[in-house]
Amino acid sequence: MRAAFAYEWVRIRTIRSTWWLTGLTLVVGVGISTLFAWAIHHDFSTTGVDPGEIDGLGAGVVTQLAASGQIPSVVCFILAILGIFAWGHEYRHGMIRASLTALNSRSALWVAKYVVVGLWVAVVAFVTMVLSGAVAVLFLHSYLSVFTAETWSVVGRQVAYGVLLAWLAMAFTSLTRSQAFALTSIFLWPLLIEHLVELFFLLVPGLRDNTEVLRFLPFQAANRMVDVLSEPDGTFGDPLSPLGGTIVFGGLALVLLVASYSLFQKRDA
Amino acid sequence: MATIAARGLGKSFGGKPAVTDLSFDVQPGSVTGFLGPNGAGKSTTMRLMLGLDNGAGHTTFDGRRFAELAHPMRHVGALLEAKPFHPTRKARSHLRMLAAANAIPRSRVDEVLTLVGLTEVAKAKPKGFSMGMGQRLGLAAALLGDPHTLILDEPANGLDPQGIQWMRLLLRSLAAEGRSIFVSSHLLSEMALMADHLVVIGKGRLIATGPVAEFVNSAQPSAVVVRTPDAAVLAGVLAAEGAQVEAGEPGVLMVRGLTADAVGDLAFEHRVRLHELSTRAATLEEAFLERTAGVEEFQASGVAAAVVSDGSGPTAGGSPS
Repeated sequence: MRAAFAYEWVRIRTIRSTWWLTGLTLVVGVGISTLFAWAIHHDFSTTGVDPGEIDGLGAGVVTQLAASGQIPSVVCFILAILGIFAWGHEYRHGMIRASLTALNSRSALWVAKYVVVGLWVAVVAFVTMVLSGAVAVLFLHSYLSVFTAETWSVVGRQVAYGVLLAWLAMAFTSLTRSQAFALTSIFLWPLLIEHLVELFFLLVPGLRDNTEVLRFLPFQAANRMVDVLSEPDGTFGDPLSPLGGTIVFGGLALVLLVASYSLFQKRDA
Repeated sequence: MATIAARGLGKSFGGKPAVTDLSFDVQPGSVTGFLGPNGAGKSTTMRLMLGLDNGAGHTTFDGRRFAELAHPMRHVGALLEAKPFHPTRKARSHLRMLAAANAIPRSRVDEVLTLVGLTEVAKAKPKGFSMGMGQRLGLAAALLGDPHTLILDEPANGLDPQGIQWMRLLLRSLAAEGRSIFVSSHLLSEMALMADHLVVIGKGRLIATGPVAEFVNSAQPSAVVVRTPDAAVLAGVLAAEGAQVEAGEPGVLMVRGLTADAVGDLAFEHRVRLHELSTRAATLEEAFLERTAGVEEFQASGVAAAVVSDGSGPTAGGSPS
């Protein structure tokens, strides 16, 4: 197992995409938060502060508005590409055979990949959010406290979301063994497919009365993980609580992980 | 040093057998060539040996399966792909990654890069490497753990003549150190120079295994080449003595079943003038073509695919004889 971790640790650090994706995450994450914090500062300095406007604002700024529950985390979606590449490069460039002759335990390689990518994503997501919060403090310290207990809670949940998303992307890539297909799917699913499903539920008479099940759509549920604005009615109420969202989204990730492990053991390299 | 023992290897793709009940041994201290027509199952066999493909049978390296080896690259080095690396990971980083998985010191990375002649491009991205440079990097990876066994699939692909000679000498020297070298190649002339033993397969089944000389001699008897202005007369005399006589270019006879001495004596007795009398040994290529005739996976049609070696040798068709 130690050998597999050593292998994956060198692998992830010696590929250029790791660094440009990490840099892109920091730039985009901190950049969006900076713009958002500056805009709020401008608004507050000209029109004054309404106490009702600052609820959840700190969490919103550090998560690039993902804490609004309306959009997925852009930072986590960029980092998920690291997960796609972790398996995608193995199959696209024929590296898998070299990997499995260097490491003759498929289980060790599989576990090491998920752990190392998960740790990398967690650290980068955390650092991005802390830096984003630090920039927000510069602009907004006169109006609100950015790093509240709620903000730290959301930071923790967003890190968990990022890791689950990266693992889900990895499992999907491992299952399909196609980097291009996985890349396309991981963006189309939340941005298009789930909205199409919602539209069907609104347009089709038989489904119109059952729109409450839409809260179980995986990426809709994932948005609830960091949502600080909605008021959930129980774990699996409508909307789902952060725990409910974690269970639904994490459950999908777990199913794909189990399938990925099982097929990786059985398939030819 | 390790003996490779492959036993009952088998693999099917979509119900079509690719390798069937294949067993053979590779002895230490020798280069064993792995031959077979395209699609015969050579690459599949090598992947089965290393547990990369799931299939029947097993392979042991000094009694232990590949999956049981701690730090496998220290025991078995393998080159299975033409370019088994990420195109933008530097050559040295690629080897460092493999070394990390096998507790191999970093200094060994530079050693193997020097050994394969890639020191100058150690910090270069392999996306710009030629096929030959890619093969050298793959070979560096295989040698990284200083293994007692090497399994190499077409390592000479893409190498220039100097590179092929270099590889031959390298593999011969590694075998002389007592290592087991198992190498597939389509370059039969190269294999004839490099290999001590052969494993020959066709359609996934074993055709022959043993020393190269034994394989060559078993397939094609030597011939006596006679050049004479009285070819018709001599052909009749030789045929009457029970020899197999084949006419080549005008005035040239290929004679099998009689020694050069016997042919010379008969010509003298019948006052036939000779311009040439020589013995031509069968080649590995001729033996290979003869023994694998009819077991090619992919056969040409519509064009006479006959191959005539040096213009006078036996022919082997593109279709089974």
